[in-house]
Amino acid sequence: MPSLRELQTQVVNGLLAEQPDGAVALIRSSGIAAESRLRIYQNNARTNFVEALRSTYPVLWRLVGEDYFRQTAWAFQLRHPSLSGDLNHAGSAFSDYLRALHSDGDFRYLADVAALEWLIQESLLALDHAPLDLPALAQVDTAAYDALQFTLHPSLRLFESEFPAGRIWETNIGDADPPALGLDSGGERLAVMRHEGELRLHRLGRGEYAFLESLADGRSFAASVDCGAAADPAFDATLGLQRFVAANAIVDFALHDTRL
Amino acid sequence: MPAAAGIGLRAQHHVEVVSQTPQVAWFEAHSENYFADGGAHVECLSRIRANYPLSLHGVGLSLGSTDELDPVHLARLRRAVMRFEPALLSEHLSWSSVGGRFVNDLLPLPYTPEALRHVSTRVAQVQDALGRQILLENVSSYLQFTDSTLTEWQFLAGVAAESGCGILLDVNNIYVAAQNHGFASDDFLQGIPQGMVQEFHLAGHSRIELGGREILIDAHGSPVCDDVWNLYRAAVRRFGDVPTLIEWDTDIPSLDILRAEAAKADAIRTATHALAA
Repeated sequence: MPSLRELQTQVVNGLLAEQPDGAVALIRSSGIAAESRLRIYQNNARTNFVEALRSTYPVLWRLVGEDYFRQTAWAFQLRHPSLSGDLNHAGSAFSDYLRALHSDGDFRYLADVAALEWLIQESLLALDHAPLDLPALAQVDTAAYDALQFTLHPSLRLFESEFPAGRIWETNIGDADPPALGLDSGGERLAVMRHEGELRLHRLGRGEYAFLESLADGRSFAASVDCGAAADPAFDATLGLQRFVAANAIVDFALHDTRL
Repeated sequence: MPAAAGIGLRAQHHVEVVSQTPQVAWFEAHSENYFADGGAHVECLSRIRANYPLSLHGVGLSLGSTDELDPVHLARLRRAVMRFEPALLSEHLSWSSVGGRFVNDLLPLPYTPEALRHVSTRVAQVQDALGRQILLENVSSYLQFTDSTLTEWQFLAGVAAESGCGILLDVNNIYVAAQNHGFASDDFLQGIPQGMVQEFHLAGHSRIELGGREILIDAHGSPVCDDVWNLYRAAVRRFGDVPTLIEWDTDIPSLDILRAEAAKADAIRTATHALAA
């Protein structure tokens, strides 16, 4: 008699690695072939996995169609089975899988759409945060501004694509027929975040993107302004700060040296 | 938690339940759907919890696995319990993973003394980590292992006795397993000691043909069938008036249809207890 662990290993090999023989030998037939009984669970596992991916990647589902999505998701599950009992985590590597699958050709943009949809899910599930305490910021001596370290909203994710991934997402997330959109119509830099319960996609200039990326990495305001200016000499730090505070993208601050 | 019949909470009904607070005795939510740090679902359930008694029902803990319990999953479950303070908390008598790979389905165990000891230890670990009793639900199954030496009901009652957990008796799952494996549903009911059962589940199932034989699938996409209502009557007679839940997970209908199913369960509860009195 195999141990419980040996039995479980054989069953999972049968369900996720297409090696059913070991599991079949452990299952009673009782009028229905053991292999057929195992296949019910394989179908359930596939269906549950695909539905989880469909819920995370609704635009990708629409772009490629149900048949291709299912086939690709099943193949992906064989290579990257879920590593968690929480299906919200299944599919984190889907964009990398698609990138390898379509490393050149017309479908390269699919990996970027998938990467954006994963960040959108992360954003939708992230912690909430109260807006920035502006009166408290007003108390800070302007001479100390350079040393300020700003905290970004926990739901904020930065995303850069050579394709118009944000516009593709926006025009395909609803039920309406999407307008024609050329894949060569320009790349995008985005800040994805949740504001008052709603998902927002903010288009960023090159300098704004570098500025926020630097803040996200924990650098000071002054260092981040330098990053913004290095990426785009026209970057205006005052306007940028105003924009991101108003959007609730910047939600807290501390004096840089007090955190060290 | 009232003994009246509650309804499984699904995301399609969030807005209606929050904005209209329909007459429903209580809701049961899948724990993992509210594991997030924040966001709309967590916010919704907080609001619903303010108006209704709540049960949390886990589908992903993989209690019967021989892997270590996932500390991240357990921590999120603990956080959900602290956040929503459910009156009932339940998991499945099943496993879903080994070697870190998850099948994301509820797989049956071999009903052996080894597995019974293992699951009892795991249930006790979870109860210690959460600081409270959990209920364990019998699952639908489509296969049995040749090495099983115990019946499913002996196994379930044994785990409850050894670990101190309660039992969530899924009446539809008993019916599905009995049809698929050829045992009498009533043997299952009689095999569970009175006093262990603290909740009932009711749901619909579907039927498929497999190798010329019919097999029942726990699809949760249709009304409760007459045979399962009859088995529910027998369960209420044996185990008493404990909370009953209507589950529906595929082709989810309007809340009114779910409330009608709950009202049917309530009518059976009331009639059964009037007869007993």
